[in-house]
Amino acid sequence: MLDWGIIVHYFPFLVKAAVMTVQISILSLILGFLVGLIAALMKLSRNVLIRGAAGFYVWIIRSTPLLVQLFIIYFGLPQLGIDLGPFLSGVLGLALNTGAYNAETIRGGISSVPPGQMEAARSLGMSSGRSMKRIILPQAMRMAIPALGNNFIILIKDTSLVSTITLVELTLAAQRLIGSTYKPFEMYIMAAFLYALMTTATSYMLKRVENKMAI
Amino acid sequence: MKDNIKKDDIMVELRELHKYFGDNEVLKGINLKVQRSEVVVVIGPSGSGKSTLLRCVNMLEEPTSGEIYVEGELLNDTSLNHKAYQKHLNRIRTEVGMVFQQFNLFPHMTVLGNIIEAPIQVQNKTKAEAIEIAEKLLDKVGLADKRDVYPSTLSGGQKQRVAIARALAMNPDVMLFDEATSALDPELVGDVLHVMEDLAKEGMTMLVVTHEMGFANKVGDRVVFMDGGYIVEESTPQEMFTNPKHERTKKFLVDIVDGK
Repeated sequence: MLDWGIIVHYFPFLVKAAVMTVQISILSLILGFLVGLIAALMKLSRNVLIRGAAGFYVWIIRSTPLLVQLFIIYFGLPQLGIDLGPFLSGVLGLALNTGAYNAETIRGGISSVPPGQMEAARSLGMSSGRSMKRIILPQAMRMAIPALGNNFIILIKDTSLVSTITLVELTLAAQRLIGSTYKPFEMYIMAAFLYALMTTATSYMLKRVENKMAI
Repeated sequence: MKDNIKKDDIMVELRELHKYFGDNEVLKGINLKVQRSEVVVVIGPSGSGKSTLLRCVNMLEEPTSGEIYVEGELLNDTSLNHKAYQKHLNRIRTEVGMVFQQFNLFPHMTVLGNIIEAPIQVQNKTKAEAIEIAEKLLDKVGLADKRDVYPSTLSGGQKQRVAIARALAMNPDVMLFDEATSALDPELVGDVLHVMEDLAKEGMTMLVVTHEMGFANKVGDRVVFMDGGYIVEESTPQEMFTNPKHERTKKFLVDIVDGK
């Protein structure tokens, strides 16, 4: 059975490590959202090169494992003289990864806005950029929020993979404590509990945003 | 009334307009002139190309060949580079208001927000100026009390009247109506037609695609019958409805009366 003494004693250490998980989650969430938005707009560009670049980015990210992407950034790039360290490598890798999925989600949101909306905006003399910003995107985002929220939740869970590039977040902290306590069950249960707490809180907040933005 | 009404001012002119969708030729050489303060009503069976024709007038559809002039200016001026062309289109579009069958109100904005959006964004009006214009227009279409609600709470007829107010807020010289009453419940059609009739009385230049023959007869200065991508016949409403020249026109008018 669970050793409750161990749990009570080590829980605060894991909470501290979870703060790091929260930090990388928030940073890569913001970055990944921006990357996704830019890539989605690029995919709708008239210019074939811009469209192609965005398409290539989304394709390469979605067809390779996040773990390999993280390894390329953390272990591979230093060979080219670019040494970002574990934290930046982790945030960059996660942001680029979630960005590709966000791009598809946002593009889907944009195409779900009826074409008449763009026509109405253009018929009033609004430029295509302004129509996109003022008329299409606000509606597209509302449509995309549930799916974007899903991507956010996946992102939080995926942060556990940066444990493999020596960033001491929740999962690596748990592993290290196991090294000294030989209590894997307790440690991983605690880690799982903390992940569940973070993702559930995020879901709850997203639900509120969704309700607030409902038309 | 509009200032300087000169009946010989040509507001819209289409010359040899052709439009293909893939291999399908929808407009087969259309020539049409609309003069200042004239109300031209376009009728015809569905698929006749009348909506496409209307949508070409503000370049929501790009014609395959032919020329479109708005107030003497060539709209589809292909000599311009992409950026200049877009600017040119955006400027001319502010002079041409459009009302759609499906209203196309912006659902994330209030009624007021819908109306003040383009005047602020495109004409650089201050919010106060735009609101003043919007309130006058809402009054005019009889929806002053709906200022702060969202479009989803409005009936179809109310939505369309807001859409008309939104187009009028840009102070256009020409108004296009693309089957503006076709999506409405029958009992709501009258309110929208009333607003359109008032607009015509004020001297607005209007190009109207509709199935409302009553409106065409009462308000139209000229009726254009289209079929199969051609303008088959154009004349005064009286002539068109009492003494149509072409067989196809006769058949269409009979079918309409029979409710086919």
